[in-house]
Amino acid sequence: MNPIFRSVRELSEAIRRREVSPVALAETFLDRLERLGPRYNAVVTITRERGLAAARRAEAEVAAGRWRGPLHGIPYGAKDLLAAVGAPTTWGAAPLRRQVFDFDATVIQRLDAAGAVLVAKLAMVELAGGMGYRQPNASFTGPGKSPWGDDAWSGGSSSGSGSAVSAGLVPFAIGSETWGSILSPAAYCGVTGLRPTYGRVSRHGAMALCWTLDKLGPLALTADDCGLVLEAIAGPDAHDATAADRTFTHDGGDVTTRRFRFGMLRDVAAGAEPAVAAAFARSLDTLAKLGTVEEVTLPELPYDAIARTILFAEAASAFEDMIESGELAELTAPEDHYTAYARDAILAKDYIKALRLRGVVMREADRVLARFDALVGPGRPATAPPLAAEFRSPHRPALDPMGAIGNMAGLPAVAVPNGFSESGLPTSLQFMGRAWADDTVLAAARAWQGITDWHLRHPAIG
Amino acid sequence: MRRMSEPVPDPREAAFLFDLIRTRYGNRLTAEQLEAVRRGVAAIVAQSAALRAVRLVNADEPVQRFTPLRADP
Repeated sequence: MNPIFRSVRELSEAIRRREVSPVALAETFLDRLERLGPRYNAVVTITRERGLAAARRAEAEVAAGRWRGPLHGIPYGAKDLLAAVGAPTTWGAAPLRRQVFDFDATVIQRLDAAGAVLVAKLAMVELAGGMGYRQPNASFTGPGKSPWGDDAWSGGSSSGSGSAVSAGLVPFAIGSETWGSILSPAAYCGVTGLRPTYGRVSRHGAMALCWTLDKLGPLALTADDCGLVLEAIAGPDAHDATAADRTFTHDGGDVTTRRFRFGMLRDVAAGAEPAVAAAFARSLDTLAKLGTVEEVTLPELPYDAIARTILFAEAASAFEDMIESGELAELTAPEDHYTAYARDAILAKDYIKALRLRGVVMREADRVLARFDALVGPGRPATAPPLAAEFRSPHRPALDPMGAIGNMAGLPAVAVPNGFSESGLPTSLQFMGRAWADDTVLAAARAWQGITDWHLRHPAIG
Repeated sequence: MRRMSEPVPDPREAAFLFDLIRTRYGNRLTAEQLEAVRRGVAAIVAQSAALRAVRLVNADEPVQRFTPLRADP
């Protein structure tokens, strides 16, 4: 069995039936990471020794009939903002390239316990993009590249997590999202990405960018795989007060006869790149086979300004030392050297006003979402931009109402491939649900992937 | 019921806040970087004006978890 571009579910069955050796699997993906990782600037550190030790342990356990579950013996990569013993944890930032922690992040611990095999720390945008980068060259490992184009950005800030899954360098990866950092690389790299409900997954041992917005979640080839990973990493944690006292059980059951109620914000694809808008329009026809799609509206509120105020204020505090010391000047992106200084202009009362408005948005979003299984919209309004392009203006930021609402309200969303542009770059569809409805958005995404084959198409890697 | 007025950023506020930031960090920034920071401050003042234009009621609390701590039982 060729394990490349096989789902976690398929690999897991093969391991359980002892048709595939976890050690051989780890060797295969370690070889690909070493050989192909540099092509996409996808890797910071390959954890060969740790990975092989875990793979040998898995192999012995499976041989002894002690199968831990669907992630047992499955290699994976972690965004390099997660602490892991035995490897640097650089946060993508040149001044921190030798930073080490003497403990594993809770997510890494839980994946260890599930028998998964850490084979790489994956590249990311420096400080998860929190210092205001506006172009792809914003990591000391270079700009992340999408396997779908020679001059296509991988998205960020979970750049390596997206490109490594897309190129078949790992079966799944862990990313993080404060605002767009899982859905963007999932979209630009043509893979599936899950942003769980805020508080679903402990962030202990993860870099903090914005305490009330940060979430950790999986990127994989299928929504089903994302559910398998979420089940392993979700749950309460004494080390993270925001980790909710809720476990998560992935329902991977049949969804072929389930009928869904989808909502769609009015003009949600307005302003999107033509290829994205066309793919979304076609997706609406396909979604009609899965259920109903109804246009909805939300009250007129400054969604982007609310989310941006919270993000900028908390990030300025999280990185106060680096900002005050002038260490920002050592970052890779020229705009990261100075953009954060302007955030001193956010007054305390405006930050508090944003937090008060956040409550209003949460109530309004839940009121609307209560009628639906998910809101649908483009995963990103554009396909992957060129590596040398500025993808946003510092003064006229692109509006992203689903991203702003979903992240400030802590709502789960999953992005799935839904087409390609004329130049062969992937487009994406997102399903966003009510708080704690992670399984519902995953079910909708699984149903989508049950009647489409976009997720089965892979880039030519060689 | 919440009402929105038209957000009107005050250029004098942006100027004052930029002066504060220039005082704090100006010695480490080039003229070009300072000009970029000036535009960034203007964007943040516009963003704040958008927030202030929404009227809330007294009972609209900030969404912020606070729990008193007692380490021993």
